[in-house]
Parts: sequence; C-alpha cells; structure tokens
Amino acid sequence: MSGVLQSLSKELADAVASAGRAVVAIHARRRIPASGVHWRPGVIVATNHTINRDERITVTLPDATTVAATLAGRDPSTDLAVLKVAGSDLTTASLRIDAPPLKVGELVLALGRPGPSLTASWGVVSSVDGPWRTCQGGEIDALVRLDVAIYDGFSGGPLIDGEGHVLGINTSGLARGVAVTIPAATVDRVATELLERGTIRRAYLGIGTQPVRIPASLVGKLQLTSDVGLLVVSVEAGGPADRGGLLLGDVLLELEGTAVRDADDILAKLGRDRVGKAMAARVIRGGQVSTLSLTAGERPQSRAA
Amino acid sequence: MTKVELGAVVDALRRVTVQVRTGGSGLGGGVVWNPGSLVITNAHVARGDRARIEFADGRVASARVVARDRRRDLAALELDGSLPAGEAAVLREPPAPRVGDLVIAVGHPEGHPGATTLGIIHAVDGDEADRPPRWIRADLRLAPGFSGGPLADAAGRVIGINTLVQGGLAFAVPAAAVERWLRRTRLPAEAELGVGVAR
Repeated sequence: MSGVLQSLSKELADAVASAGRAVVAIHARRRIPASGVHWRPGVIVATNHTINRDERITVTLPDATTVAATLAGRDPSTDLAVLKVAGSDLTTASLRIDAPPLKVGELVLALGRPGPSLTASWGVVSSVDGPWRTCQGGEIDALVRLDVAIYDGFSGGPLIDGEGHVLGINTSGLARGVAVTIPAATVDRVATELLERGTIRRAYLGIGTQPVRIPASLVGKLQLTSDVGLLVVSVEAGGPADRGGLLLGDVLLELEGTAVRDADDILAKLGRDRVGKAMAARVIRGGQVSTLSLTAGERPQSRAA
Repeated sequence: MTKVELGAVVDALRRVTVQVRTGGSGLGGGVVWNPGSLVITNAHVARGDRARIEFADGRVASARVVARDRRRDLAALELDGSLPAGEAAVLREPPAPRVGDLVIAVGHPEGHPGATTLGIIHAVDGDEADRPPRWIRADLRLAPGFSGGPLADAAGRVIGINTLVQGGLAFAVPAAAVERWLRRTRLPAEAELGVGVAR
C-alpha cells in the first residue's frame, strides 16, 4: 500500500546511518556538547562558536568511546574550527563538493550528536545565493539558507543529501541564530589553511571610516561619479594604510577602481589573496583628488577591517 | 503516486484515531487499541472518570477510564455498550524505527479533527539494546490537540502516542511501552492483550 513512502523512509534512515558514522560529539563548552564531522582521516571540523576552550577538548565517537582532541586552529570569521584526533579508524565523511550544485527545494537532513546518540532533522534548502561575507569578513562560497528546525547541538553537524553525502557544516552562529550551511568547498578550503597555518590569512588596511556626503560643488569641480565617500576617522599607527601615506581626514573614493560607499565595500576588496599586494586608493585631500598606493597587510587575529 | 499513498496511509490512521472529550475541558486524541473496545490516550487528556469518544466516521460513544498512569502520562478507556467492532490500530513490530525514518501524526489541533503532520525520527535514545527507549523523539510539528493521538511509521503502523512538545521536538510514548503498561495493568481485557499484535 505504501511502497514509495516506505522506500523513502528507508532511504532517509540509510542516509542518516551512513553519514552518522562520521558525526561526533564535541565537548568543549558547558552543558550540551556540540557536533563535529570527521572530514579527513584524523581531522574533525566543528563550529568555532561551540568551542569555548582551547584545551581539554574531548570527542565522543559514534561507537560511544571518548578520545582527546587537539585544536589545530580556528577561524571566527567563518565560524569554523579544526580538531585533530590520533589513531582513529573512524569513517570519514563522503563529501559532495560543488557537484551536483545544491538546488532550492532539495530534500536535506541536518545531523547532530549532542551526546552519545545521533539526531536528525529534515527539511529543504530554502535558498541558495552567491558568495557572501560574514560580519567578521569571512568569505563563504554560497549563502545556503535552510528550512530545517534547529535543535540543541545542531551547530557543527553536517547537512546531508538523501544519499548521505555531506553538503556542508551547519551553524546557527553566523547569521543571528538563523540556520545556514557553510558549503563543503568553503569548509575544505578553511580546514586546509587552518591545518597549515592555524589561522586564516585576511588582508587589512588598519583604518576606520565613516560614510560622508560630498558637497555638490566639490562633486562638480572634481568631476566625481559618486557623491558619497568614506571619511578616514582613524589610522592605525604603523599599519598598512599609515605606511602607504593615508591621513586622517582623507576621503576615500575608490579602491582598485571600485567606488567605496561603506565599510563593506572595503572588506570586499580585502580578500585573502590581497595580503602584500599594492592597491590604488583614490582620495580627496585638501579639495583635490589624489591617488595613493596602499599595500594591505595581514590582519592580526580578532580585529576588524 | 506519493500523494495518493500518503493520503491512503493517513486515511487508515484517521479511522483508528478518535477525539477524546472529558468534561468541559479541552480536546485530545486517542488511538483505538486492540481489542477494539479499548482507547489509549494521555492521562493529561483523560482527566475525569469518563470521556466522550468521537470516531472519524462520526460515531459517538461514551467511555470509562479503566487505567491511568500519570507518570507515564497514559490512560486506557473502555467503550461503553456493544459498539460494533471497529478497526484497531496496527502496531509496528520490531525492528524499531531508525533515526531519519518518516513518521506521521494525526490529531485534532484547534478543532480541526484528523489533521496530520509528517516528520522524521529525531533520536532513538540509548544504545543499550535491552533497555527500550522511554521516548520516541520526532522532528515533527505538533500543536495542542495532538496529545494522545498516534505517531505512525510510513506504512501507518503505530509506533507511539504523541504526548508532549519540548524545545520544538515531539515526544511520543513508544507503543511497546504502552503494551507493557497494559500487560502490567490489571485490566479486564488483560488476557486478550497478552497475545501480542494483531495484523
């Protein structure tokens, strides 16, 4: 009477069981443990916001044994952290990176292990948008929103498809409690860099700015294309912008030929590949437009743009 | 095809799901258990000694509470008189459902009798094989009015009695726990209940 429903039910439970073999519980905060995914042999990916300490971290494996883990690195900007566990014969996740691309409406499951038992919730991919930047400047390949209920211990668990392939890592820590998935491609890239360096390189200029309206007379006189610029209100002493000659009171108009209207526009120009590279900055200084060459530096940890 | 199937499963489940009304208070669900003169619901639904039972086909019966366990939140009601033997719920036999398996609930939220929701098993407690789980936890959207009604698998076989919602999760008393409770409870129908599940 219900062959299709029963086979769908079996497929979902099979997908959960197979992907669940790579889902672990992470004990690095008070109260409820969070989840993590055995991404590569000996490497577990979790969410940064659920790891509240750097030491005494333990991991409960699917067979209910608990082992010690060391923190290999963390990146608050993408809310990812990488842990290493020794001598484990744990199954690694089967990854679906980029292909086939995730579609709106695709049936998905979110797995977690907030304790010894595996948990699952289901739903659909509610939207997929292009690359985005988190409020801390993290670069994420796609904005994947979910219509999936979030339960305790959800963060750090995988989003899987109906065949048990891992599509990414779920977190409620990047978008004000809303469930988003960090795509597998982003996780893989960040994990690689964290394993190599312990941190994520990010370019920075060392300035604070505020949007200002430029008087119409000046727009006309200087033949500007925009009447908004960014007034430089702070310059970090000895920082990249300081070294490049940017002064307090300069009004930044363009970076690398792109108009900048708010701080996000600057962040967008400060990708990880910009460290050590010169950028042309067009500014208004003393009523005249001039161009400076700024060389972005590597941003120290936990600092804004 | 899936649409037709889900409809058929839900229809069958509705036929064994009743509305339970006690006094002037709220409304809950109940499941026609085997034998067909017995209705299982939550203790918090069957508050008084008697209840009015409404079947999906419109039949109405009165029933007497013959067993109640507040700790397990279970109550058993026996239908008065000689009601024609209706269908009783088919219980799922082992194996137990797994995490991710589809589940279907039928209930009566806000005066909508026979409403249904679809979800999956969220967690199966404990890995100790010989200790049955106390709760089935489901990723399933329930509302008041689903209490006492059935939680069933993809084939419409009852796996639990929907009992509470906590943190957005649906908690159901496993059908096996209901059977054990009935066996332990000295009901007139005990002898018939000892034979296991009719298909």
